[in-house]
Amino acid sequence: MKRFPKGMPASQRAVLQEQLTDIMLEVLRRNPQLHYYQGYHDVAVSLLLLVGERTAIAMLHTLSNHHLRDFMDPTMDRTKHILNYLMPILEQVDRELHDFLIRSEVGTIFALSWLITWYGHVLSEFRHTLRLYDFFLASHPLMPIYLAATIVLHREKEVRRTECDMAMVHLLLSRIPQDLPYELLIGQAQALFDRYPPPLLAKRAALQSRTSLSISTFQSFQRSTLHQRPDSVLRRITREGGCSASRRGPGEWAVASTEAPALGRGNRMVKMAVWGLSATLGAAVFAVAQTAMQWGPDVLLQLF
Amino acid sequence: MTAAPYNYSYIFKYIIIGDMGVGKSCLLHQFTEKKFMADCPHTIGVEFGTRIMEVNGQKVKLQIWDTAGQERFRAVTRSYYRGAAGALMVYDITRRSTYNHLSSWLTDARNLTNPNTVIILIGNKADLEAQRDVTYEEAKQFAEENGLLFLEASAKTGENVEEAFLEAAKRIYQNIQDGSLDLNAAESGVQHKPSVPQGGRLNSDTQPAKEGCSC
Repeated sequence: MKRFPKGMPASQRAVLQEQLTDIMLEVLRRNPQLHYYQGYHDVAVSLLLLVGERTAIAMLHTLSNHHLRDFMDPTMDRTKHILNYLMPILEQVDRELHDFLIRSEVGTIFALSWLITWYGHVLSEFRHTLRLYDFFLASHPLMPIYLAATIVLHREKEVRRTECDMAMVHLLLSRIPQDLPYELLIGQAQALFDRYPPPLLAKRAALQSRTSLSISTFQSFQRSTLHQRPDSVLRRITREGGCSASRRGPGEWAVASTEAPALGRGNRMVKMAVWGLSATLGAAVFAVAQTAMQWGPDVLLQLF
Repeated sequence: MTAAPYNYSYIFKYIIIGDMGVGKSCLLHQFTEKKFMADCPHTIGVEFGTRIMEVNGQKVKLQIWDTAGQERFRAVTRSYYRGAAGALMVYDITRRSTYNHLSSWLTDARNLTNPNTVIILIGNKADLEAQRDVTYEEAKQFAEENGLLFLEASAKTGENVEEAFLEAAKRIYQNIQDGSLDLNAAESGVQHKPSVPQGGRLNSDTQPAKEGCSC
């Protein structure tokens, strides 16, 4: 599969391919209410490459029941519903651009793969994918749509220079430039989210947020994470696996656990961001340590 | 992308439909890039590619919408059928199930396009003769019974890929010439564009457009 690092030996690709299938089947077996969609394995492979098979199953299980839940219905109705938030955000920020897009009849399907794969399907550099995954892990399920809005807004001039035609606008927008300033866009997406939160959009755009399972279960998801120490999952795994301290990446967890209480009071989002980031950073250290032994330096260079 | 003048006289809108994994995106890639893509990722929603080719002496820009094959995506891909001048309906000659599903794809194509839409049936993966599961003859008969053009092709070797897009384009052009396709009708799937004033600046034949399929 294309998402495996270039230069990886065929035998290791075959192992990863098998693990990829296994983790998806395991999660689907545990959750008979969920349905596979094309794009699901873009999420699964990102997790697998980063944290390995066992943790990937746990993460995919949780994400499938929360952030990805709407995409895993038997039909696309709820997915289309989520996409429907895109235009109202644009309308709030740049009405002229919004009107241009409406006139072109481009629709929102150009952003479909962005949404349901968390951009994993369209980004060629794994480090960008990981950065966005960190962001989305610590955010509301609608955040990929807010990021889609910031990407369209960021390319406003290009869009406006294009012929106002469905095919031309779709072509332009569906090809994500690979050199986007992700840090800037992440900040802007968060700012848009704070300024135009989903309930506000739902009211203005006659969208019904109650039909989204991802959104309606987000509060309980957040509550459950409140009771979780930032590094409790990793600590448990480390204890069970008996990993040596040298693999752990000293400092990483200490930072998270001292910062979280200070920032956490009254600001759930920041707390979650720290949790998400520290968890992934810790996991990345694992992955690096493991892969370094298996693949050799040139593969690592391409990965990160 | 600038507006007029155009270096082509017509735009034909195409769609590519058919089951998952039959090679729709690979056919498009072979057509626009003249290369086989071995690790072709699945299509999510729709992808888009263009190429200018010469049809009966006229430069024609093909705008090709490549749709996702998974059943669940039909809810979104159906809206791209509207106003298609040509449809490539693809099955895999090594997997009979993809052939058996053709009637369902044909129903969609007939219901969602106009009566003049040219449909060409493509049996892809013709290079895998040893694994053949659908004979040429029975597919040919199915095509004749349903008034479809028919070719077996291989996105891998490139065999008949050019021809598939060209045959459909020739038929569309013929429909324009004999008046059965009304260019003024909404959703004919064809746009007539004023040509560049003659100055010999036309590009050479079948030059791939830069914005070809990147998948």
